[in-house]
Amino acid sequence: MSRTILRWLRSRAVTVAGVLAAVLASSLGRANVESPEPIATDATQTQVDIGMMYAGGYVYFFGWMPDPSADVVVRLTSVEDEPIVVNIQGQVGPLWMNVKQYRVSGLPRMYKIHSTRPLAEFLPEDLARELGIGYETLKDRMSLEAVRGEAGEGDRDLVFDGVLRIKTDANLYNVDENRIRVAGGKLFKHSFRFPPAAKEGTYVAESYVIKDGRLLGRGEDRIVIQKTGLEAAFTDLAHGRPTLYGVLAVVVAVGMGLLVGFLFKKGGGH
Amino acid sequence: MDIYLPIAGMSINILVLLGLGGAVGFLSGLFGVGGGFIMTPLLMMAGIPPAVAAASDCNQIVAGAASGAYAHWRLGNVDFKMGTVLLLGGVAGGTVGVEVVKVLRELGNIEFVMKVIYVLMLTTIGGSMFLESLRTLRRSPGAAPAKPTAERKVSIWARLPLQMTFAQSGIRTSALFPFSIAFLVGVLAALLGVGGGFIMVPAMIYIIGMPTIVAVKTDLFQIVLTTANVTLQQAIRNQTVDLVLAMLLLVGSTVGAQFGARVGRRLRGEQIRILLATIVLAFAVKFMVDLLVTPDNLISIGGGSGGGH
Repeated sequence: MSRTILRWLRSRAVTVAGVLAAVLASSLGRANVESPEPIATDATQTQVDIGMMYAGGYVYFFGWMPDPSADVVVRLTSVEDEPIVVNIQGQVGPLWMNVKQYRVSGLPRMYKIHSTRPLAEFLPEDLARELGIGYETLKDRMSLEAVRGEAGEGDRDLVFDGVLRIKTDANLYNVDENRIRVAGGKLFKHSFRFPPAAKEGTYVAESYVIKDGRLLGRGEDRIVIQKTGLEAAFTDLAHGRPTLYGVLAVVVAVGMGLLVGFLFKKGGGH
Repeated sequence: MDIYLPIAGMSINILVLLGLGGAVGFLSGLFGVGGGFIMTPLLMMAGIPPAVAAASDCNQIVAGAASGAYAHWRLGNVDFKMGTVLLLGGVAGGTVGVEVVKVLRELGNIEFVMKVIYVLMLTTIGGSMFLESLRTLRRSPGAAPAKPTAERKVSIWARLPLQMTFAQSGIRTSALFPFSIAFLVGVLAALLGVGGGFIMVPAMIYIIGMPTIVAVKTDLFQIVLTTANVTLQQAIRNQTVDLVLAMLLLVGSTVGAQFGARVGRRLRGEQIRILLATIVLAFAVKFMVDLLVTPDNLISIGGGSGGGH
């Protein structure tokens, strides 16, 4: 009898230990979501220069894959979030013109998502929202302030869809779900295209490693886009000292004109 | 081969810009007209923000007119007194025009207003060129083209105040009319990036009654300073002058104008004039369609910082 009780207790202890272990493991797992392991990532360059011949550029990103069976999603956004003015066209008589204006904030200048496979297959919705991945999260963050004209009911959708189209056409926004390759199960790699429309500023690429719907690790790389040389000089002068820039523009034009007139004797049209 | 335009804030093929400048320069060399009224629409179609297109084109006209003025300067014939009146009007108009541009950009409707004015202007210019060429073509080839009788409506202007004698032009008239027409041209220079010779010269000859040669040369003198003022004001108030763009257009149009002038000397121009009229009318139709057809995307990003960065 005592032997059976003993056996029962022993089997119970195993169960208790198992439950304890499971609880511990799951709590550890939860801790993992809150502060995921930092993973090593890097980019081929940290700076993109806008020079005379700037036509956009590619930057390659690499990262360590802690688990070969995990997935990776990378979000590239601009750090600065400057508000933009958005116009809505309407018909005035037979003519189309801008009739409404909103100040829109919360939309980054650039927003690109790359991943190893379709997001729906490995990224739970709440985690996507938490990490700010997907156009829906952008829309939630967008705020509108009417500047001109009556605010209408459907305007929020209209503005978001319209801006999204402008941004995707300029390749400033894009979601590419099969862009990231994993080499030997250890190294993930992909490249972001910075289109010519990408303006000066700081951009951040955040890499998230996801497994079983949980965040396993994260990494961050920053890219700075800046004008250099003559481009920087012209822009700084035009915005910082506009009078001097205007005088320079006139003097250069008159000088060039006189030179041309001298070279060709008879000047061209005007 | 792409070049990045610092103020327009965009990358564009350098050959496209040189080609545009060359084509417009060729036409202006061929016909002896300014190309501003074709250049700005072409730049807009090439995707340059409209306000930057107009301001930079104005900058380029400064150079074109300066080289023209340099050539004519030595030959004399500029009516400086009339030029000064025109200049005052042009500077006042340009300054007002730049402020109008500023307000329109903030309202987000600069492109709309530019297109409306272009439709009206290009239809008028293209239409009258087309009709005039047709009339000339229909006439027997030997007959001398009957000059439109320069009806000098001096009598009306003679009654207005501010009478002045313009010795070089040999006329006495009110300063009000030249001032107001130059004011209008100044406003157009700011809004559209045109030199306004196509308005100014006929007005001086047919309405004010100045001799043709004096009118053309005085116009050049006036254009240099009016467009210089507009360029400066645009740089200060709207920051829309793209010097890189302007200089590329200048290089293209200078070379184009040389070829145009050479070809123009050999050709009887009526057929080609009809071609130019057709191009101008086509632009008018293009903008008209833009204004009438439901836009593909009702949303645009813009406002005050449209052309900036």
